[in-house]
Amino acid sequence: MKRSVMLSLALILAPLAAMAMPVVGDNVGTGADTVKAALEKAGCVVSSLESEGGKVEAICTETATSKAWDVSVDPTSGLIVAIKASED
Amino acid sequence: MHQADLGGAGPPSLWDIVVRVSHWGIAIVVLANEAMTRGGSAAHVWFGWAGLGLLGLRMVWGLVGSPAARFSAFPPNPRQAMTHLRDVLAGRPMAHASHNPAGALMVYALWMSLAVLIGTGIAMSGPDPFAVADREAVVNSNDWSGLDTETGEGGGGKMVKTVHETMANLLLLLISLHLAGVVVEGVAMRRNLVTPMLFGGGRSDK
Repeated sequence: MKRSVMLSLALILAPLAAMAMPVVGDNVGTGADTVKAALEKAGCVVSSLESEGGKVEAICTETATSKAWDVSVDPTSGLIVAIKASED
Repeated sequence: MHQADLGGAGPPSLWDIVVRVSHWGIAIVVLANEAMTRGGSAAHVWFGWAGLGLLGLRMVWGLVGSPAARFSAFPPNPRQAMTHLRDVLAGRPMAHASHNPAGALMVYALWMSLAVLIGTGIAMSGPDPFAVADREAVVNSNDWSGLDTETGEGGGGKMVKTVHETMANLLLLLISLHLAGVVVEGVAMRRNLVTPMLFGGGRSDK
């Protein structure tokens, strides 16, 4: 019984957990403060911003898992163009 | 300044000032960029350029510097390096007027990996170190419009980044071996190999 409840909860919460992180294509803005706010709202706290390859890379830590991500943002459109696990 | 007579058997009891400044300067640069600065940051880039200056100074000094500091005093010779290591282990190492053959190989390996590390760093950050701080300022502002134009940022792609990171790790490995060599040879030869690179006061073979 307990196991069924836990499984049900996991299934119900899984989509919410997946939605916690930003995804490629999200518009997070074209300035430091707006990007930090948007990513934090999506569950990833920005520790630093870097210019890399014509894009802005936001290094953020996912609050739910404490995992670090490199979120690459197009500085002109504000769209997220790539998300990968941080190497820093 | 004390320098060994290259015609004699002894190494310098005190390396000349250019050798010492470049040695410890590069040590500080590597320590700072491996442990203290963030890759791609203005501080990281400036330490890299400082490393280039120190390496360049040492290269010039290797051509025109004091006798023990010149490349001709410690040519790379793997066979002699192996012989030297065997002699050290046997407790009967020969004295050398400059770096011993094993130390010489290590020196060239360190310089080469450092040169590649700095070269790939400049390839990524661009030729203007001042522009890095400007880009940082724009990125941390609320207006990124300055980033969609020419920013002076380098490129090179993932391969250059991979080479840069690999060289950084290789450099750490070489430094570890270098330090181990200093300790082992110092013990085996009952010589302090550090003081000649600082203020003198001992005999060195490295």
